Amino acid sequence: MSLTLYHRHVLEDYLAGFGEKANPNHIAVIRRPAIFSILAHRAHEAAVEDALKPVEGVHLRYCAPDEWLVVSTTLGAAVIENRLGEIAGASIVDQSDGRALLRIHGPNVRKILAKCVAVDLHADAFAIGTSANMLCCHVSVNLARTGADTFEIVVPRSFCGSLFEDVMEMGREFALTAAFADS
Amino acid sequence: MASLITCPHCGTRPKEEFSIRGAALKRPDPAASEKDWHAYVYLRENPKGRYQEYWHHAAGCRRWLIVERDNVTHDVFAVSDAAAVRGASE
Ligand SMILES: [Zn+2]
Repeated sequence: MSLTLYHRHVLEDYLAGFGEKANPNHIAVIRRPAIFSILAHRAHEAAVEDALKPVEGVHLRYCAPDEWLVVSTTLGAAVIENRLGEIAGASIVDQSDGRALLRIHGPNVRKILAKCVAVDLHADAFAIGTSANMLCCHVSVNLARTGADTFEIVVPRSFCGSLFEDVMEMGREFALTAAFADS
Repeated sequence: MASLITCPHCGTRPKEEFSIRGAALKRPDPAASEKDWHAYVYLRENPKGRYQEYWHHAAGCRRWLIVERDNVTHDVFAVSDAAAVRGASE
């Protein structure tokens, strides 16, 4: 793991000088999320998925057939690595220094995201707990619905600044604010 | 109307999420003649109407898909995972 990248958040300069008061529509930039990618080997697909579901303290995000992200805002990367390391037939890579996690929340979140992604986010089509890879402001991200008005975006670190600026622009009419958060 | 492709893994998505990689041709046997391989690599029919193409869902599941569509009307008839199609024919 690259410690320099891990300890200096990519959005550090973007958020400097912002007021600390959060509006109803708000992006929480998680300071140190643990993010792992999991790839199931051939013939182990179902077993790996079954083994991932009961892992405590983490959220499972669907990317593609036999491929997931494991995200946690409470556990450290070393703890998760140990827990996931016991799963047979899977390749597990720590992506914590290579991805950023943004949590966007608020009454107008669907209207904001409607300008960012081309996927139907109505609760009937994209229920709580659903996640998928998609284009968001021209960047390939993993978007998950974690609440009725809450979505989480996992974005490659080097695209995070561009994505952040675009989402903030789309949220301007709804007074979208942003700040770092620990979890 | 935007071109919408219904990925079997990701659902309905805009064409911007995909990269199109040309006609879905059957790969010749490794021992096939040089003429067959030349045709497979370089020669294209460029048909008008209904045909099958490889589409890579680059911004989604990153799976290779076979999209059967009409390149005049852009009616999409079928979208399937290329690995599943290959598995069925083997
Ligand atoms: Zn897909």
